[in-house]
Amino acid sequence: MFESIVSYGLAVGAVYALIGITYNVMYSASRVFSFTAGMLGMLGGVLGALFINKWGFNAALGFVLVLACGAVLGLVTEVLTVRPVLKSIEQHLYVLSTLAFALMVQQVTAIEWGTEAQPFPVLIPIDASSPAGSIWGIVDQKFWLPVLACIVTIGGLEFLYRRTLIGRAFLAIAEDSYAARALGLPETQLRLASFALAGVIGTLAGFTGAQMLLAFFGNQSILNFYGFVPVALGGMGSNRGAVIGGLALGLFQQAANFLVGGIFAAVAVFAVFIAVLLLRPEGLAGAPAARRV
Amino acid sequence: MTDTTAPARAGGMSWLGRLEGRLSWILLGLAGLALPLLDDSYIGTIAERAFIYWVLSAGLNLVVGYAGQIAIGWVSMLALGAYTTAALAAGRVGPEWNPYLALAAGGAIGAVFGVIVGLPALRLRTFYFAMTTLGFATIVTQVALAWKDVTGGGVGTPGPVFPWPFEPGWGFYYLCFILAALATWITANIGSSRYGRALVAIRDAEVAAEASGIAKPRILMLVFLLAGALGGVAGGLFASLQSYITPDAFTFEMSVLFFIAILIGGRGSILGPALGTILLTALPEFAAPLVQWSTFLYAALLLLIVLLVPGGIADLLDFKNRRPLTQHREIVPRIELLPRVLDQAEGGHAIELAAIALHFGGVRAIDGLDLEIHSGEVHGLIGPNGSGKTTTLNVISGYYAPSSGTLRLDGAPLPFEEPHARANHRIARTFQTPRLVGAASVLQNVMIGGTVHGEASFAEAMLSLPRHHRDERHLRQAAMLALATVGLESLANVRADRLQHSELRFMEIARALMLRPAFLLLDEPAAGLSTEEIRRLGALIKAISREGTGVLLVEHHADLIFDICDRVTVLNLGKVLAAGTPAEIRSHREVVSAYLGA
Amino acid sequence: MIEPLLEVKGLAAGYGKIGVLQGIDLTIGKAEIVALLGPNGAGKTTLLKAVSGLLPCTGSIRFGGKDMSGAGPREAVREGLVHVVEGHRVFTQLTVHDNLLLAGYGMPRREIGPRVEEALAFFPEIAAKRADRAITLSGGQQQMLAVAQGLVRRPRLLMLDEPSAGLSPVLVDRVLAAAARLREAGTAVLLVEQLIEKALALADRVYALARGAIVLQARTDEPDLPNRLEHAYFGQDVSAPLASP
Repeated sequence: MFESIVSYGLAVGAVYALIGITYNVMYSASRVFSFTAGMLGMLGGVLGALFINKWGFNAALGFVLVLACGAVLGLVTEVLTVRPVLKSIEQHLYVLSTLAFALMVQQVTAIEWGTEAQPFPVLIPIDASSPAGSIWGIVDQKFWLPVLACIVTIGGLEFLYRRTLIGRAFLAIAEDSYAARALGLPETQLRLASFALAGVIGTLAGFTGAQMLLAFFGNQSILNFYGFVPVALGGMGSNRGAVIGGLALGLFQQAANFLVGGIFAAVAVFAVFIAVLLLRPEGLAGAPAARRV
Repeated sequence: MTDTTAPARAGGMSWLGRLEGRLSWILLGLAGLALPLLDDSYIGTIAERAFIYWVLSAGLNLVVGYAGQIAIGWVSMLALGAYTTAALAAGRVGPEWNPYLALAAGGAIGAVFGVIVGLPALRLRTFYFAMTTLGFATIVTQVALAWKDVTGGGVGTPGPVFPWPFEPGWGFYYLCFILAALATWITANIGSSRYGRALVAIRDAEVAAEASGIAKPRILMLVFLLAGALGGVAGGLFASLQSYITPDAFTFEMSVLFFIAILIGGRGSILGPALGTILLTALPEFAAPLVQWSTFLYAALLLLIVLLVPGGIADLLDFKNRRPLTQHREIVPRIELLPRVLDQAEGGHAIELAAIALHFGGVRAIDGLDLEIHSGEVHGLIGPNGSGKTTTLNVISGYYAPSSGTLRLDGAPLPFEEPHARANHRIARTFQTPRLVGAASVLQNVMIGGTVHGEASFAEAMLSLPRHHRDERHLRQAAMLALATVGLESLANVRADRLQHSELRFMEIARALMLRPAFLLLDEPAAGLSTEEIRRLGALIKAISREGTGVLLVEHHADLIFDICDRVTVLNLGKVLAAGTPAEIRSHREVVSAYLGA
Repeated sequence: MIEPLLEVKGLAAGYGKIGVLQGIDLTIGKAEIVALLGPNGAGKTTLLKAVSGLLPCTGSIRFGGKDMSGAGPREAVREGLVHVVEGHRVFTQLTVHDNLLLAGYGMPRREIGPRVEEALAFFPEIAAKRADRAITLSGGQQQMLAVAQGLVRRPRLLMLDEPSAGLSPVLVDRVLAAAARLREAGTAVLLVEQLIEKALALADRVYALARGAIVLQARTDEPDLPNRLEHAYFGQDVSAPLASP
């Protein structure tokens, strides 16, 4: 039982962490929390099952296509729901515009794909009798795939932010978009790029987690919420916080599910979420932001 | 149904506007009463559904439309109320309850959770609260699935059947109708009371609301309580209407229907969202092929509204406020009215700041500041940008807590970081950028300033009891007098966002006068005014101080400062560079160079 | 007659309903230091923002013979019209070197390196800290970094908004000395400054702004300038400027 709590908990936690990072990547470049994060996670599973199971593409091609769709959806999100709202006086309307867009996509999914959860293909064929297969087979790929995706994403983002000029430009926009604009940084293009990147990360989370979570349109609101909890715990914009928070959430949820039951797990997560928001809105790890005068 | 249903956004209480509002309600009410005459149970069921949705939406309308809190998952209240009522009535928890009592229990549970879900809205803005309501809706569904003993899990549980007099059929119809009418009546009463105005002020001008003494947490809690209770009651009715409920019946998408109905109707209106709810409930029934796509269409509509008409469709239909205003209006304050506005009984008050220091991060905004403001004096505060003028004003009005130093009013310490408590000490202020409710009339904006003078409780306002009516009458009279004093009487019924910038500055002063302030803090009141307007403003400020009010004037216009101030303090880099009479300051060489450079 | 480097005509700008500037005419020649003075709230920062494209405005702006009306900050920067905003707003989480690299964002790779070195040469003490994060710099050093960021593009006109705010007198002289060196190198400077005497000592010409309009323009070698400035600020009515050339 302990093993399944840990393996399942870490895997689900990695998916939550990746959705949390998706929120963060969009937030850093635009100060917008977008409800499309859960939508991307949901689509990662549904589109993957569509391309590979229904249309018969091989797993690698399906994977690339799913991420490409994620990037395109990210771009559409920025152009359609974020850019017009950032221009208006009531900027908080992004809450509604991104929610509306996410719901539209979810409804199309529900109608065209169906409201039943459908299985997701095994991505890496494993021959359990071969020596390599017995090693890989110890832990099912549905458990290690999301964790691997999380590690790769964190590594990739570290490289982007620390080693490339465009990554530094992201950090600059996140810290002070006015000064960045005055320097001549292309704020709009950078914001577009970050939404495309978020699209890739969000669908990656859904794709790698779908053998466990299935291809199900209802994953959207679950991922929206459970993916945001790590952001609230770890502090907005902090990817490290999102990973720690996500894994902790996944482990806690599974442990509680097994030991005390699902009702307690759900209620406890919600209670902790509210308590953290009220007592430490900057997150458990974050420091209160110093204001500029 | 009631004489107070004229929505807040209708601005001034023109008789035509009132009649329009009342007439629509009477027609709606008559249609509701007469509907059983059709004897068509299909239409009856649609109407029941619309009434039930409206019971929830009426409460949600106060949260979303008035207070501007984006509660996107309010369907959770419907689910809570439905399961509570159904489980209690079916005897799944203890003995079987009378269905009417179970319905009341559903409302009570809704009220409790309305407050819990609302908690994050008190401290955090928009997205967090939206996410909390969404998360709560998710959790409620998960619990409903898992808690099989009480909810029946995925299989579900039968809904309550109400006995006489509201037995299934038209009896139940009238129960829904009566509760919908009741929900309309109490939310409309709140909407048109000082509580409704306070909610709108929290939405559009939060800092101004605080400065007017509106305690945001308390009033929001009351509204969440009411909206939760109405949601719970709606849930109980919904369970009976469905006759069998499963978690699938409470999809998150249903929230969108409630939400969009309110947005279509327009923020801060009651009639609009009511019509929106009826329309959205009935539409899919008459356009069967669209049913499958209805949520998609609602979401698309939501996106369109947000992007194109953020004020809601009702804003497009707001013909009354299209009428052109007179061009070349002049603001002519009537200083002779001031004694009636201020009626200062006793003077001799003083605010004292001693050794105040405050820094943001590493930057010292104020560095050891001493300052005194006395009744009957105009005290000018000048200095270059970033010298700490507005910060000083924000310390006095309770927005910032300094790291050291004392702030006293008549010798007693004034607590820091309690901006809404300043109104009770009769300390009023205006803002560098006017803070106003653009969609409300000028009169209503000014009435917000007198919120603390109201005596009727939330419940009294909700039930439209006499004390509430007396409050309204007094506030209205006082606001008209304040408007006449600053010279904006003729614009009382105009939407505030149609005013010119200079008029807004005078409107803010009128709002501040509603507190009958002992101290008035003005943050750059002359910015953006013409020379003639500045002269009139100067005369008004001077006259206010001569009535015994102590005025702190933060200003860039040197001529205004030197014309009307009794004392001037010059700040530089957070410290007092010089203090004295205007004549002394003018001849101060260091001041001239520091101030000129700026 | 040779066209001036920057020519602003009939410029008006504001924030929403609040008009801040109206009818602004202003010219700056090549390699000229122009001081822009005026009391608080006169609209100096607003004018810089309008010229650099950070704030929408009406009227005409010509720069280096090109029409720049309606252009955004990116176009302005590309043309060599660079605005160093007030309050030394550098990116504190990035290193000094990265801050400067970003100032050259979009330039060809191999050009950025030498330009960064060129900018650092103006301020040896931040050159020594190039690998440190900007949050570790003092306020004065951050201001130097902000000015250095402005230099990476080798601007034809550098607009400095209150570069001395919050700096000690020694550091102020260092920052202003950089402006003088730029003039020798052919760069024009528009300087908004609160240290009026230092600004007048450095500048070739001066504009005074009050209540959103230019109330005085003069060469800094004209007699009795401080008194005329004082008059212009404290003058009772801007509609009748006390001094106009």
